[in-house]
Amino acid sequence: MISALDLILPKSRLKRALVPWQSLLRDWWREDAQVLIYIAKVVGACLLALWISLKFELEQPRTAMLTVAIVMQSRTGMVFAKSFYRLIGTIVGITASFVLVALFAQERVLFLSAMAIWIGFCTAGSMVFRNHQSYGFVLAGYTICIVGLPATITPELTFDIGMTRISEIMVGLVAATIVSDLIFPQRMWNMLLATVRRRFKDFSDLLASMPDSMSRQDHGAGAAALRFAGDVFDVENFRASTALENDASRAHRQRLSLLNAEFMAVSTSFHALEQLLRRQQRSSHPAVVHAIALAYKPLAAALQYDGRSVRTEVEAGAVLQGVRNAKASLPQRLAALRLELQEALSEDERLDFETGAELLQRFADELVAYAGTYAALTQQGHALDIKEAEEPPPSLGLHIDSWAVSLAGLRGALALGAMTCLWIFADWRSGIEAITLGVITSTLFATSPSPERTIRQFSLGALIGTVLLYIANFKLLPYAQGFTMLSLALIPGLAIAAWLTTRPATALVGAGTFIIFLLHIGFNSAYSASPVAFLNDAIADFIAIGLAASMYALIDLSNGRWSHQRLAAALRKQVVSACRDALPQHRVRFESRARALMQRAKGGRRIADAQDKELVDWLLSTLETGCAVIELREEMQSMKDEEALDALERSLDRIAGLYAKPDSASRVAALISIKETSALLNTIDMMFRIAPTQRRTILTILHALRSALLDDDSVLARKAPLPEVVHAA
Amino acid sequence: MPREIAFFDALIPTILLALIGAAVVSWTLDWVFARYRLYRLIWYPALFRLSLFACLFAALGLAIY
Repeated sequence: MISALDLILPKSRLKRALVPWQSLLRDWWREDAQVLIYIAKVVGACLLALWISLKFELEQPRTAMLTVAIVMQSRTGMVFAKSFYRLIGTIVGITASFVLVALFAQERVLFLSAMAIWIGFCTAGSMVFRNHQSYGFVLAGYTICIVGLPATITPELTFDIGMTRISEIMVGLVAATIVSDLIFPQRMWNMLLATVRRRFKDFSDLLASMPDSMSRQDHGAGAAALRFAGDVFDVENFRASTALENDASRAHRQRLSLLNAEFMAVSTSFHALEQLLRRQQRSSHPAVVHAIALAYKPLAAALQYDGRSVRTEVEAGAVLQGVRNAKASLPQRLAALRLELQEALSEDERLDFETGAELLQRFADELVAYAGTYAALTQQGHALDIKEAEEPPPSLGLHIDSWAVSLAGLRGALALGAMTCLWIFADWRSGIEAITLGVITSTLFATSPSPERTIRQFSLGALIGTVLLYIANFKLLPYAQGFTMLSLALIPGLAIAAWLTTRPATALVGAGTFIIFLLHIGFNSAYSASPVAFLNDAIADFIAIGLAASMYALIDLSNGRWSHQRLAAALRKQVVSACRDALPQHRVRFESRARALMQRAKGGRRIADAQDKELVDWLLSTLETGCAVIELREEMQSMKDEEALDALERSLDRIAGLYAKPDSASRVAALISIKETSALLNTIDMMFRIAPTQRRTILTILHALRSALLDDDSVLARKAPLPEVVHAA
Repeated sequence: MPREIAFFDALIPTILLALIGAAVVSWTLDWVFARYRLYRLIWYPALFRLSLFACLFAALGLAIY
């Protein structure tokens, strides 16, 4: 068959002419089209919710639409998860309102103070949990304003108000989940896979550049560590959202969790290795660094596929055998190098080499485990399931700063207190709206890494929302007749707000637009907008947002020296408890706790200033020392010799003392104590009393600890400089 | 079947219980389908799940009224 085009253009030229169009089309489909689809989904779900609410003659269809706007996200699994927690939060909040109204309906001071306590409690809860759970707590808190406050005016209608509210929310949730599940669903699994792949690629890029990047004095390590910490929690959050989604991700949840734990381990070991080499470059024999780098190189090289980093888990499977071989031949390579270096090195330098060798060995083990799990990620085999059944990796727990939590709770309660005072004393008609929005804004962003910036964006969104609202309420809605025209009047506002939410930079602006636009849209079951109410509500909104902003500025938990110091102290405390706790900690738990502290404070942000950099340095120092301490304590469990154990305990205690209170004296004390312990282990007597392999392992760990504490570039050295005398010694 | 049931003296429609029942049954079926990988045989699992739920709920609803 010859088409018309073929007659005009020769075939090859036609094809060539079409190539740019094809790639353009593909790009368009991948990016712009997805945005358009998403906007269409949001608008469609809103209108569906509106239609159902109107059919059922619910009192406030806008609540259903607002629910859709809040839970709608591009990933189906996230929508499910958020819907679930929105439902739970609403039910809990409504139940609490019933109880409060039943107890104190006549006594407004008692009622409002009980409300403040409840909101404070819920805000504190939202700081403890992550993501959607956290959102559920916030919701339980502010639902009490939405249901409880109107109920104080008409207590006999409380039950009806609560039931209507929950029906409207249910309608919204059903509309949002059906639309996002049925129309172009975006599965979590693809996103998870993309994150995991990118992380593996980043990591192997880092491995490949390692020996060369050492000479450059940059702080890429800190940035990488922060990004990896972010990745760990991204994967964990996505994983948590897959519980309600039905695709490959649910079947692979265990594996993902294992992968995360192994990744944390291997990235910490890698960092320790990098640090060790950097220090040795300065202080030790150049041959040592060279030898370790030589032994390391085959490992990194084996991870390359066709001369580039591995991109998918299938490629990882292809290189896995190579990595295993590289690991298996590592002891031989190290032995050969050891023999070669035997004469050239002093006793101390030989210990340097052994420390590096030990670390390299551990790194290789962890790398093989990580690459193996990654390669098996999408396989349907059962080889992994057996391993999983034996020892499920510990989950990433919740790690909180109790001060920050209680202050956030206090902030929520204070916001309510201030707004209610204004309401009562000014006898203000829009008081309830203002209180509700004030409480929403001053609790919802409590977990954001920088609430002040968040609230600025939100208020910009509120401004846009108010403008759109004016146009919709007074220019479009009065002419609307019937559902079709109602939809047409709503679509511009909904689409603009939805479009704003699709871009990460303006997501919060979009949220503000949505909330204000839908909160005051001018109809219930019939047109009900009036300019006076509109102005009153608009003023109330901005007073509420202003109050929330000043609350965040007053009780600021995310920036400033105070919170930085607290965070650094909390990180150091991890090391102290790793040293002093009665039972040695699980390493994964330790690592995830340290990273969780960091992640909570900084989010996925880049290192912005000197203070941030210092925090990252503390994180790295904590991870390095803490992991070495945990390893040491694991070795100590199988030791019998009392004298050696005592010495080791003493050294651990000194290290704990250093991290509890970093100053020059305690740093010197820790260094001397480690040196004494090493000397004790090196006596002839000890050589007979402790098994040689164990003795060597312990000595290398001690050496690694000592060189970490001696490091002049570390954050410890800045905090606790060594006196000159010790340096000379 | 009565159309409303007294639950702590609050009358709730029986159809609400039917809704919850249908949701539980369809979740169970969903789990079974996922466990034995039966979704491979289905063109559009999400649509199938929704339809299954609609069938179950409608059947229970018809039994009540």
